[in-house]
Amino acid sequence: MENTNHHNQHDEVHISSYRDHWRTLLTLLLLTLVTIVISVFGANLKALSVATALLIATVKVVVVAYYFMHLKYDKKLYTWLVLLVAILFAAFTILTATEYFNR
Amino acid sequence: MSSVSTNLNFFEAKKGIFSWIFSVDHKRIALLYLYSLITFFLVGVTLGLLMRYELLNPGKDLVEAKTYNQIFTLHGVIMIFLFIIPSIPAVFGNFFLPIMLGTDDVSFPRLNLLSWWVYVVGALMALSTLVFGDGPADTGWTFYAPYSVKTGTNVTMSVLAAFVLGFSSILTGLNFIVTIHRLRAPGMTFLKMPLFAWSLYATSWIQLLATPIVGITLLMIAAERLLGVGLFDPSIGGDPILYQHLFWIYSHPAVYIMALPAFGVISEMLPTFSQRTIFGYKAIAFSSLAIAFVGYFIWGHHMFTSGMSGTARFIFSILTFLVAIPTAIKVFNWVATLYKGSINVQPPLLYTLAFIFQFMIGGFTGLVLGALATDIHLHDTYFVVGHFHYVMFGGTGFAFFGALHYWYPKIWGRMYNIKVANVAFTIFFIGFNMLYFPMLIAGLMGMPRRYYDYLPEFHLPNMISTYGSWVLATGLIIMLSNLVAGFFGKKPKVGRNPWNGITLEWQTLSPPPVQNFDRMPVLPQNGPYDFDHKPVIEE
Repeated sequence: MENTNHHNQHDEVHISSYRDHWRTLLTLLLLTLVTIVISVFGANLKALSVATALLIATVKVVVVAYYFMHLKYDKKLYTWLVLLVAILFAAFTILTATEYFNR
Repeated sequence: MSSVSTNLNFFEAKKGIFSWIFSVDHKRIALLYLYSLITFFLVGVTLGLLMRYELLNPGKDLVEAKTYNQIFTLHGVIMIFLFIIPSIPAVFGNFFLPIMLGTDDVSFPRLNLLSWWVYVVGALMALSTLVFGDGPADTGWTFYAPYSVKTGTNVTMSVLAAFVLGFSSILTGLNFIVTIHRLRAPGMTFLKMPLFAWSLYATSWIQLLATPIVGITLLMIAAERLLGVGLFDPSIGGDPILYQHLFWIYSHPAVYIMALPAFGVISEMLPTFSQRTIFGYKAIAFSSLAIAFVGYFIWGHHMFTSGMSGTARFIFSILTFLVAIPTAIKVFNWVATLYKGSINVQPPLLYTLAFIFQFMIGGFTGLVLGALATDIHLHDTYFVVGHFHYVMFGGTGFAFFGALHYWYPKIWGRMYNIKVANVAFTIFFIGFNMLYFPMLIAGLMGMPRRYYDYLPEFHLPNMISTYGSWVLATGLIIMLSNLVAGFFGKKPKVGRNPWNGITLEWQTLSPPPVQNFDRMPVLPQNGPYDFDHKPVIEE
């Protein structure tokens, strides 16, 4: 079918360099190390410990999506679609927390 | 269409059972889903008939209370997870989305086959609870904690089955999103797509984004049962309302996984049987997205009486009323499409009109439940059961059977007996309303849902309802027999376009060839429902 591949013919192909892959991997390993250091070696964050872990995990998600999953090189539309997921997650959390703290 | 080497239809192309169960052709996968779904639907109907028989009179008629609880749970699990959630997308979406977009398959055909296999595994897991362990779960299809954590019945396997079925749903949604973005025919912009494709697009986003939430929630139930982790059971530090939040964050949007494809089907059938362009194309298309979006934020209305905070109740009630707006936009546009149309009354149109009538009753009773004051009175009564079945069965179920009658000649290349189809519809319609309308009355009178026994004052509505279930079953048997007879009967084969439709599936052969089109499809000039400039297609 000619029309099936119509869109694909006009897409630009991006091949990431090894250098980018290594940088991404090192960033992820570093962030994992930070998480371990904070939890095992006892930075006394108390109420902020969950928030800190989530923050680090979120940064890792962004790095993976941006480089490994090619969001950086793709159309902006896909970045918006991923942001939509983040907005939905925030909405679920805020609505549930509103309920919990007003109980 | 230079690469098309054969016009053999997809039935004739390959023979043998393995050519079906390992096929990556979207049309064959659609039919695999259809046969599986109808089988499970009939199991669900049988369980429903058993429930209704038990409720014919107060006291025991047929089964013990515990068995009754297990029957209604299995009825819910089968009908929700095995029938209504996959129904229209998995069958008609799989079959017709690529054809309507003018392409030869979905983006990931192998993933498509995998989703059917995952569905079959999930279904077998759900049904295995009948024979293994302590019998099917007795919690209701919602698996509410803490009871689901404590009951001795086979909850773990049931929730794992629902978890596995979720993957099938996610894979189908993912496939459709990519197909719609990547494989539309040249010239078919988003605003020239048929409305069925729009509805599948909105549905797929919900499948993709909401289903993982119920997946993890059900795993948490399993973790609590098997490892004793205190998540939902207050006696070990859990919060049962948290379970309800997590469950409904998925399960309310899931209502739109069930309803939105039905809206798409209705938006296809109305222009065909009115022979005019659909009224308010953009409004219908964008209202699908609006319903999908707003539908994410209204789950709390299932929990008004469960100890949720007053502030949250107020917020969720307002948000619930908001979702009625895009839904009403659709209904007004459908009715306006009929106005001054050249109406051709055929079985699919009858199902369409019944859909609008019954879906309106389902919608309005939904508003009654979405209002805080009335919900306090009606929550957990038969009013909710009536409302839910008017939306899901009177709406999506009727749209499913309407779609089956509409696309039947395209799928199998033959026509069923129209007169018998009309008679079957009439019996089905009467039976449906006899079965479910008395539930609304019984609920208003105060009859609680899920009860095995009831007080004598509820006898009359229950009796009418049970008689209605028998009428409904009669209509269903006639309808399905007629469709099967049409396939095996001696009626001549139909042409490309027996209903005089306009979307691309009506330009190809019936049944379609393996690669969907025998010649290049022609898009109508001004959008998908431009009946004034309909392309002339020779047989």
